[in-house]
Amino acid sequence: IGCEDGSVKIFQVVPGGIQFERNLDRRKGRVLCLSWHPSGTHIVAGSIDFFRVIDVTSGQTVQRIMVNHQAEKAKRECVVWAIALLSSGTVVSADSFGRVQFWHWEQGTLAESHTISTSAALSLAVSEKEDSIVVGTSTGATYQLQLLPVRLGGLEKRWVRTKPFQFHSHDVRAVAHSPTALISGGLDAQLVIRPLMEKVQKKGYDAVLRKFTFPHRRLVSCARKARLLLFQFSQYLELWRLGSTEETGKDGEVLPLCQMPEHLVQLKSKGPEHIYCSCVSPCGTWVGYSTASRFQLYRVRCDGDGVSLRKVPKVPKLLPPAYQLQFSADSESLFAASARGSVHVFQLLEPGGCKHLHTLQPPSGCSEAVYLLAPSADGHWLAAVSGDWAIHIYNLKCFKHHCVVPTYDCAVSALAIHPSTNNLVIAYSDQQLVEFSIPEKQYTSWSRAVQSRGLHRTWLERDSPITHITFNPKNPAHILLHDTYLLCILDKSLPLPDDSALLMNQSALKQLPETARKRQLHAFKICKKFQPLLFMDLLDENCLVVVERPIMDFKTQLPLPVQQKKFGT
Amino acid sequence: YLLCASGDFVKVYSVSTEETLSLMGGHADLVTGIQLNPHNHMQLYSSSLDGTIKLWDFMDGIPIKTFSVGSKLLALYTLTSAEDSVFVVIPKKGERDTFQLVSVKLTKGAGQDLESKEVSVVLDGVGASMKHIAFGREGAYVVSVKDVNLQVYFFKRKLLNRFSLSKIKTKGGDNHFSCVVCHPTEDCIATGHADGKIRLWRNFHHKKEYTYSTLHWHHDIVMDLAFSVEGTRLLSGGVESVLVQWHNESSCQKDFLPRLGAPIEYISMSSDGALCCTLHTDNRITIINSNLRFSRSIQGLIKSRDVKTGLVVDPRTKALVLNGEPGHLQFYSLQSDQQLFSLDIVQRQYIHEAGLKQSDLVKVAFSARGTWLATVEESEEVADPELQLKLWFYHEEAQSFVLNTRINTPHDNHITDMCFRDMDELGDDSLILVTAGRDCVFKVWVMVEDSDPEAQQSVSWSCDFVGSYHNYQATNCCFSEDGSLLAVSFEETVTVWDSLTWDLKCTFCHPPGNIRKICFGRLTCSKYLIGATDYGFLCCWNLLTCALEWSAHLNVVVLQPDPLSEHIAAVSWLSKESSLFVFKPNEPRPIYIQKNLCKEKILLATFVPRDEPETISSEKYLWLRKSQLFFLTDTQELMTLSTKALEERLTPSSKQLAVEESLPVTPFSLLLGKHRRQQAQEDTDLGKPVVLTKQEQASPAVKELLHTPAHVLPSASFLCTIFINSLLISKENKSAEEVADEVEMESEKAEDDSDEEDVTAMEQEDTSHMELLGEMTCKLSKSQEKELRRIRKMDYSWISAF
Repeated sequence: IGCEDGSVKIFQVVPGGIQFERNLDRRKGRVLCLSWHPSGTHIVAGSIDFFRVIDVTSGQTVQRIMVNHQAEKAKRECVVWAIALLSSGTVVSADSFGRVQFWHWEQGTLAESHTISTSAALSLAVSEKEDSIVVGTSTGATYQLQLLPVRLGGLEKRWVRTKPFQFHSHDVRAVAHSPTALISGGLDAQLVIRPLMEKVQKKGYDAVLRKFTFPHRRLVSCARKARLLLFQFSQYLELWRLGSTEETGKDGEVLPLCQMPEHLVQLKSKGPEHIYCSCVSPCGTWVGYSTASRFQLYRVRCDGDGVSLRKVPKVPKLLPPAYQLQFSADSESLFAASARGSVHVFQLLEPGGCKHLHTLQPPSGCSEAVYLLAPSADGHWLAAVSGDWAIHIYNLKCFKHHCVVPTYDCAVSALAIHPSTNNLVIAYSDQQLVEFSIPEKQYTSWSRAVQSRGLHRTWLERDSPITHITFNPKNPAHILLHDTYLLCILDKSLPLPDDSALLMNQSALKQLPETARKRQLHAFKICKKFQPLLFMDLLDENCLVVVERPIMDFKTQLPLPVQQKKFGT
Repeated sequence: YLLCASGDFVKVYSVSTEETLSLMGGHADLVTGIQLNPHNHMQLYSSSLDGTIKLWDFMDGIPIKTFSVGSKLLALYTLTSAEDSVFVVIPKKGERDTFQLVSVKLTKGAGQDLESKEVSVVLDGVGASMKHIAFGREGAYVVSVKDVNLQVYFFKRKLLNRFSLSKIKTKGGDNHFSCVVCHPTEDCIATGHADGKIRLWRNFHHKKEYTYSTLHWHHDIVMDLAFSVEGTRLLSGGVESVLVQWHNESSCQKDFLPRLGAPIEYISMSSDGALCCTLHTDNRITIINSNLRFSRSIQGLIKSRDVKTGLVVDPRTKALVLNGEPGHLQFYSLQSDQQLFSLDIVQRQYIHEAGLKQSDLVKVAFSARGTWLATVEESEEVADPELQLKLWFYHEEAQSFVLNTRINTPHDNHITDMCFRDMDELGDDSLILVTAGRDCVFKVWVMVEDSDPEAQQSVSWSCDFVGSYHNYQATNCCFSEDGSLLAVSFEETVTVWDSLTWDLKCTFCHPPGNIRKICFGRLTCSKYLIGATDYGFLCCWNLLTCALEWSAHLNVVVLQPDPLSEHIAAVSWLSKESSLFVFKPNEPRPIYIQKNLCKEKILLATFVPRDEPETISSEKYLWLRKSQLFFLTDTQELMTLSTKALEERLTPSSKQLAVEESLPVTPFSLLLGKHRRQQAQEDTDLGKPVVLTKQEQASPAVKELLHTPAHVLPSASFLCTIFINSLLISKENKSAEEVADEVEMESEKAEDDSDEEDVTAMEQEDTSHMELLGEMTCKLSKSQEKELRRIRKMDYSWISAF
C-alpha cells in the first residue's frame, strides 16, 4: 500500500484478514501508484515528478527516475498517475502530460516516449503477454499500444500506438486488459468492454462491444402490500409511497393521480461506507441495510401523516455483514446472505425486535459468499446462489438443505420461486432461462423444451442480463422478467419463437387481423418503452410498478468534461 | 536538379535558380512516370502512354535507350533490388478500367530501340494512379490500394495479404484510399483516405493480427504522403493547401506550413532529405526546406478554376492578364513564361471548402495606356450576386495598381461586359467606362474631380448615364476606334449610341438568335460593325449605310479584333474541333483559315502586339505581322499561332508544320493531364514525376580561391586575373558542350519529324468546311526547342556580361 506520506507498506494476506509486515524505504512525495514486478522482487512506486524502484527484500530504493526533465521549462508538476513494471525490467509510466514512457530502470534511461494525448494519461494496464498496453486518459479516450516488430521477421520490437477508442465522456479512471478485450471504467459511470477482434476466434458474446451503466444488481425493493418503494443510493436510502389512481384508461394514456407519490423518509448511513444491500419487508414496516462492516434494521411506523423510523436495538452482529437481504413473504423473518455459503435466518419480533434463528449452510461447504436469495411465497423454501454459481435450496420448515440445482457454467443473474407451483425460475448471465421444480428436484418439462429448442438468437444477443423475475398471480403461466433495456412477459402457454420470427413483434402484431395474430403469437412479449429500466414489480393483479432512471439525470451531476476543440464547431 | 514530367516532355529544373535547364522530348504521348535509375543516378527512366520506356541521360538531355512494351504505361516504378527490370502499370487485356502491375524485363542490347515484351504480372486489380502503389523497404513487398481495399504482396514469401475497410461511411467519413507510401526502413505503410485520415499500418504480414493507428488533421481528401529519408517524419498534403509534417507517427506532434496557395497534388522528397517539393493543382512547384520553410517556387501560368476575365493584354507590360489564384489577377509574361506579379483584387481570405460561396473576379478592363484598371468581382450566388466594381490607378512610384474607387452593386444583376473608351490622344479626361449588365441597362462611368479637399485622391469615378433598350438584357458593349460610337447589344439587337450626347443612333438586328459578340472594325474598316449570333451567323453591318454588308454562316465562339490592324479573328466550334478564320471586315472572304486548330474548345483569344513587326515572307501570315494571336482552351492551355515554322533551322529533310502549339506554358496543366483524359479511354492519372538530385557546380579555380585561408592568399590584383580567366575558360567549355548538345538534339528532332504527315501542304483559299486535315499530333517539340535555345542565348549573354 502506498501512502500519501511517501511510504510503501507491505501487508501479508492471512486467512480472514491482512497483517502488517513492514515499511519499505520512505521518501518524500505522495505515492500515487504502485506496481509489482511479476516475479515479486521489486515494486515500482509513482509519485509527482518521479518514480522509484524499491527492492522488496531489502526495502531500499534502488533507482529514482525523474520523469519531467524534458518538460522542465513548463514548471508544471508531472504527476505519474499510473505505472507498470514489466518482467523485462521496463517501467511503463503514464503521466499528467499525456505521455506514456518506457524506461529501463536499471540504467535509468528513457527508451521510448509516446505523447498520446494533450490531457493527462490516468490509467494503464498491461496484457498478460506484455505485448499490449491499454491507457486511459482524462478526455475519455483509451489508447492501445502494441509491441510490434520494426521489420518483418526482425528481432527489434517497438511500442506503437495503434487503436484509439472514445467511449467515455469523462476521465477513464481504470483500465484492464483481458486476453481478448480492453475494459475501461470512467467517471461517467460506464464500464466498457471493447473486444480485440483479432484475438476473438469466433463470433459470440465476446465479439461485441459491451457498455454497462448500471450494476447488475437490484437497487430497488418494493413492499407490495404497503405500496412502498425503497431506493438504495450509495450513502443513503429513500422510502417512497406510491401514488395511486382510481381511473382506468386505454393503452398509452396517462391517468390522473388521486394520490400523489410521497417521499416518506431518507435514511443516511453512518460513516463513509457505501451501502451494499438493502431491503424493505412486504408489509412495509421493516427496512434493513448492510454496509461493508455493519448490518442495520429499522422499524417503520406510519401513523397517519407522520412516519417514524426506529432503529431496532440489539441486532445480532454479523461477521462479515450481509451481501443480500431478503424478507420472507409474510414479513416475519429476514434472510441475510453471508460469507462461506451461509444464510442467516432472523425472526422479526413485534414491536421491534430481532432474533437469530438459524444459519443455513450447504452440506458440502462452500468458500464463496451467497449473493442472491429467493424465498418462496408460502414460506417453505429458500433458494440461495453463492459465488461459485451453485444454487442451494433449503427447506425453511425444518431448516434443512433440500437439494442443489444442477450447476451451469454461468453466473446466475436473477432467480425467483413461483408462488403457486414452487418452481424456481433462474436467469443466467448468458441469457439462458431455466425452470426447476423444487418439489420434484428436477427441471420442468417446459424448461427441457426450452433447452432442446434453444432461445431466440436476438434474445441471446442482448447486452444486459435479467436482473429481476416476478410472477403474475392471476395467470401462473406468465413470468415477468426485466433487464436494463426491456421488460418481458414470458407466456409459457404459447410456442417459442424460432430464429426466423421477429422477437419484438408487438407492434407488428397490432396491425394484423385477429386470425393472423393468433398464428404469429409467441411466448415473448417485450416492451422497450422504459429505458434504462432499474426495477419492475407487480403490485397486485392490475398494477405494475416500473422504475426508470434517465441517464441524463446523473450525467448532469457529473463535473464538466475536459474541453476539447472539435473540428467544425 | 528537379525533374518533372510535363506533357510529352520531361523537364529538368535547377533547384537553386528555378530555371529550366533542359527539356527532354521524344515520347509521342503523355509521360506518365519518371524514376531515377537506381543503379546510376545520372540516368532517368520515363514511361509514357505511347507504350515505351526511355532511359535518359538527364544531365545532357540525351535518350540512351528506348524500350517498347506494347501497351499503355500508366505508372512506372524502379527498385534497387530488381537488377534489370522495372515495374509498370498497364491496362488488363480485354477488361476496361482494370489495371495490373507488371514487371518488365529490360532487354540488354546494343541498339537504341529495343523491344521488351517479357512481362510478368505482379498484382492484379490495382489503381491506375501512380499514388496507389508503393514499394516497401528494400523492395521486400509492394502495396496497392484501390477503393477500400489494400493488398500487400511479399516478394520473397510470395504471400498476398488483402485488407479492406468498411465501405459504409461511418460518421460522415469516407474510407476510400487516396494514396499509399511505405516507410523507408521499417515495415510500416501509410495510407491517405478520402475523409482526411492517415492510417499507419503495421504487422500486415499477419492476416488477422494486423493493426493500424490513425492520424487525422485534414478535413478533406489526403492527396499525397511522403516519408522523410530516415522515416521519422511524414508529410501530408491535401486540398487545404497546408503541408503537414507528422513526427514519429504521433498525432500530437505536428508542424504545419500553411498558405501554399493551392491544393497540394503531389509531394516528393529529395534523396538527401534536404528539400521536399510540393506540386499544386494550379500549376506550380513549391520547394520547401527540411525545416519546413518555404524556399522557392517554380511557376508558369497559374491555373485558376475558371478564367472568367478573359484574356486581356496589359498595354504597359504587354503581359497577358487573367484570373490567377482565387481573387487574384495574374500578369503573365509571354516572353519569359513567368508570372510577373499577382494583384489581389478581392482582398479576402480564401477558404477551401466545398459549397462555400466565394467572391471571384469576373471582368477586367484596361484603359488604352494601362493607367486605369477596372475589375468586377461577384460572389458565386446565382440569384443575388454581390457585385463590386473597382477602379485601380497605376501608381508610377509603387509600380503597382492602387485602388481608386470602389462601387458596390454597380448593377442589380451580373455584369456581362465592360470596356473603356480607348482614346490615346485625348488623355485621361476623356476616359469613359461602360458596363453592361443583365439588369437590362448599361451604365457609363466617368471620372469626376473630388470636391472634398480632405480626400486623398483628386479624382474618383461616378455614374454619368444609364441607358436601356426595350428592357432587354445588355450583353456586350464596345467602343468604335475613335471613341465616338458605342455599340451595345441587347439580346437580339445591336444598338449604336453617340458617346457625346448618349443618343441612340441606330439599331441592327439579325434574327434569330441573341448577339453573342460584337466588335468594331479598325483603321480602314472602322465603318463596319461585326456581330456574331447564337444561331451561327457572323454579320457585318456598314455604319454609314446602316445596312447589312455581308453575313456568313459560322458558329463563332470567339471574335477578336487585332488592335494594330484591321484583321479580325473568329474561332468557330463545330463538331468537336475548333477552327480559326481571319478576315477583314471590308471583304467577306477570309484571308486565312486554319481548320482543326485543336480538339479542345477554344474559349478565349487575344492579339498580343509584337515588340517589333516581324518580317514575314509568306503571304498568308501577313496578318500576324504586328501582333501574335494567343488562344486559351477550356483545359486552360495557352496556344499560339507561329510563323517561325518557316525558319529553316532544322535539317532540310524535316517537314514543316504551320501551326504549332506554343509551349504549353504550364508544365502542370499538362501534368495534371486533364486535356488528355478526354482523348484517352482510361482515366489515367499522371505519375508523380518529381525526383530531386543535387549537384554542386563550381569552377575549380573559384573553389580554390574560396577555400584557401585569407591570410595565405596573394594580393587581390594577382588573383583577379586568375579568377577572370577561370570564368572565361569555363564559358568556352560550356558553350562548346552546348553546341554539341544542340546538334544532337536537332538530329533527334529530324528523325522524329520525318514520320509526320505533311500538314502545311494544304491550300487554304478554299472556304469549304469539308476539308479534312490529316490527324495532327500535338507538336510541342519545336517551340520547346526554341524555348531551350532562348534559354541558352540568355545564358550566353549572362556570361558575356559578366
